[in-house]
Amino acid sequence: MTLLSGQRAFVFQRLSALVLLAYIAAAAVRLALGAPVTLAQWQAWAAQPLAAAALLVLALALVAHAWVGIRDVVLDYVRPFAVCVTVLGIAATGLALLAAWSALILVSHAL
Amino acid sequence: MRFRIYRFDPDKQAKPALQDYELQLGPSDHKVLDALERLRAQDDSIGYRRSCREGVCGSDAMNINGRNMLACITPLAGLREPVTLRPLPGFPVIRDLIVDMTQFFRHYHEIRPYLVNHEPPPERERLQSPEERDKLNGLYECILCACCSSFCPSQWWNPEKFLGPAALLQAERFIIDSRDRATPERLAFLDDVYKLYRCRTIMNCTEVCPKNLSPARAIEHIRIQQLRRSG
Repeated sequence: MTLLSGQRAFVFQRLSALVLLAYIAAAAVRLALGAPVTLAQWQAWAAQPLAAAALLVLALALVAHAWVGIRDVVLDYVRPFAVCVTVLGIAATGLALLAAWSALILVSHAL
Repeated sequence: MRFRIYRFDPDKQAKPALQDYELQLGPSDHKVLDALERLRAQDDSIGYRRSCREGVCGSDAMNINGRNMLACITPLAGLREPVTLRPLPGFPVIRDLIVDMTQFFRHYHEIRPYLVNHEPPPERERLQSPEERDKLNGLYECILCACCSSFCPSQWWNPEKFLGPAALLQAERFIIDSRDRATPERLAFLDDVYKLYRCRTIMNCTEVCPKNLSPARAIEHIRIQQLRRSG
């Protein structure tokens, strides 16, 4: 794969989609077996190490998936090149902050 | 039958315009090209390309009632009136229905549309098994009419960088050919954020191909082979 590989993004997008699908399926089963009702119950559920780890994987997959999607739209539509790079930079920073914030919340509750 | 034809002569007009025509069809007029020939007898300033008039050369590709087709094999029967003829969308117009195909063929040449094999040639020819030959079906039939590339939104968005469905179908035709020895180089060339991966699998290409080929499937095969090579 080269530096400007299209394949890497293609693979990331599909792998992250698989993670999202797996989480949705697992969450549906979990909710069907009895969903937490109150906020305290949801917080207690999310604080369990396994649930927190799964949520963290979900957040990272979501960010990776969103990045490839945003990148594709920007590469297709945004001109000139300097504006394209700037918008990509803003999007990447925003998504990275979102991932870090999600990780911080999950880790702080799980510990 | 009523026709509405895109007219543009850059030497005389600042902007293109649609011109209406009325035509009494003859008993032997079955296809859009037949009607165009008759219209040109009325107005010899109408510009369009045509050569073989039987769906082999691909030169009379145009947009007919909003869909890219070959005028020579598109039946007049069943077309909504007025039949609107426009040049292939997304391509620069030279005059009327004639478009500039320079970039299209540049992309085609970029994929090296010929066998690359530096091994000493056998006495007669490089043979293939029937199974190896069968793999070329659905690829070699492309006539380079550009119906697919001109109807591809990814091509409209990145006309200079995205190679387009026609060139990528041809790339797959040589990647899969058992006589070719440049598969790794071909796959590496296409592993680029623009050349191949701008394809969003919209599938307009497959929808409009007058030879019923599937460039979208060829593109997917290239991606799968790249994955296998890198994995």
